Amino acid sequence: MSGLVFKLRALLTERIDLTDIVPNTLAGLSLHDVQRLSVGTGRSKADIGDLFFVSGSTDERLVIEGGSSAIDGIGSGLGAGTIIVEGDAGSLTACGMRGGRLEIAGNTGSHLASGMRGGIVVVKGSAGGRVGAARAGERFGMAGGTVVIGGDAGDRAGDRMRRGTIVVRGRCGAATGSRMMGGTILAEGGFGDGPGPLLRRGTLIGPSVERLLSTFADCGHHDPVVLRLINRHLASTLGDLGDLAPKPLPLEVRRFAGDLATIGKGELLLTG
Amino acid sequence: MKVNGVAIDDTFAEAFGMSGTGLVITADTSKWARIAADTMCGFGTSVIGCGAECGIDRELAPDETPDGRPGFRVLLFGFSPESLLPQLRNRVGQCVLTSPGSACFNGLDAPQHLALSAGPRFFGDGWQTSKRLGSRRYWRVPVMDGEFVIEDKCGLTTDGVGGGNLLFIGTDRAGLLETTEAAVAAIAKIPDVITPFPGGIVRSGSKVGSKYKGAVASTNQAFCPTLRGAVNSALSPDTIAVLEIVIDGLTSKAVADAMRAGLATATGIGTAKGLTRISAGNYGGKLGQHHYHLKDLLA
Repeated sequence: MSGLVFKLRALLTERIDLTDIVPNTLAGLSLHDVQRLSVGTGRSKADIGDLFFVSGSTDERLVIEGGSSAIDGIGSGLGAGTIIVEGDAGSLTACGMRGGRLEIAGNTGSHLASGMRGGIVVVKGSAGGRVGAARAGERFGMAGGTVVIGGDAGDRAGDRMRRGTIVVRGRCGAATGSRMMGGTILAEGGFGDGPGPLLRRGTLIGPSVERLLSTFADCGHHDPVVLRLINRHLASTLGDLGDLAPKPLPLEVRRFAGDLATIGKGELLLTG
Repeated sequence: MKVNGVAIDDTFAEAFGMSGTGLVITADTSKWARIAADTMCGFGTSVIGCGAECGIDRELAPDETPDGRPGFRVLLFGFSPESLLPQLRNRVGQCVLTSPGSACFNGLDAPQHLALSAGPRFFGDGWQTSKRLGSRRYWRVPVMDGEFVIEDKCGLTTDGVGGGNLLFIGTDRAGLLETTEAAVAAIAKIPDVITPFPGGIVRSGSKVGSKYKGAVASTNQAFCPTLRGAVNSALSPDTIAVLEIVIDGLTSKAVADAMRAGLATATGIGTAKGLTRISAGNYGGKLGQHHYHLKDLLA
């Protein structure tokens, strides 16, 4: 397999942070230089070479064999190229990602794709809370790109999200799209409790909702052209995802406008 | 020179640099997409009198359009980006936004852009919302049959060409029209060009200026058969009619290809339906940047 390969030497005992350990920043470095990059977040010093067997060469591809939920920041700062994680990933995965592609075979922690601006993230498993959400102190969450999650997503996915598309093949947790300002979230398994609190703009699409907020107004059944555009966009952007490929949206939906507790230009589109 | 009995003048068509843009107009059915496109292209024959020259480039299958519905690609040409923009806004706002089930998308990938939605989207009176998908941004404007979707920007080229032309001269008016129609049909198959006049054909070739103040163009008496004996005519004694095809294109090559297709079709029909001669309009080569010599196009 071409590219750079990180293989975990042993189970991690402390969290590590791979922020900016991405193909576009590693390009041109020797294997020796790569092994000396510091990724520790605890009291003990931890370089990449201490934690991983490093092989291959730096190019547009990075493979992390044996991922772990203790590895944070995977794909953060990715601008181009591909990262493949053959296991789980921790928090802040794809945080601030600008381009390229990140594929994770397992699950991820919280704040997946927070502040993401471009590129594609594919998670075969489930994601923790606050997918595409703003981090504490940040004004906006996700601002571009596309995320596909094969399993479920935790609570408050899309909090303060501004742009981009999140596809959850499973179910979204509570308060999805809270304070959202734009973008699109598809939950093929439906939404949990009260999606869209203080939703200003943006689109939530799913077959069902556990409990609808009283500040969402029923606008009836419609066949908006934008659903066709979303279908085309996902089909053309994601490439061949096999079983993970999102199902095409039905072209007729029931539209709820909200959150009318704020400007109310957002919408919840029920496909079921 | 003669081709299949048709005399080909040793002359050239003189054409001008234009700014151009392209749109994709879709609707629930091909019928309504065409109605929207035709309405938008109405009164778009000559940039001098109409502000823009517009026409349908081609019909698009559902798998070629952004929303997967039937559509048409429309091209618009103007003197400059500044003069094209108000034409774009007014035509889209009055003719596409108003048409049932329509949507309007960018139809030209180019590094420069025109603000396609600036104008029509404000019809939403604050209820319009945008949806950005990848690098493309769309506006959703609530209207009485649902939503009018319009893309935020459309491509702009300043390398367009306006005024490529062919003059078909003949001894039978009805037959000449049939031959010219066949040439227009052949040109319609060439991508990136339009023939903006009615049915693609002009019967009122003009010259620059007039004896009357305020008229910037007037009839070209040298090509009017009924004046043949009274003026310094460019027509032979047996000529009954002259018909012109004017061609605008996004590139000079597209215009040349279109003229080549028109010439090949007309000379292929030959003199059977009354075509005797093919010429082209120019201003002595001093005004337009693009010259298309007929003999080169037949080579």
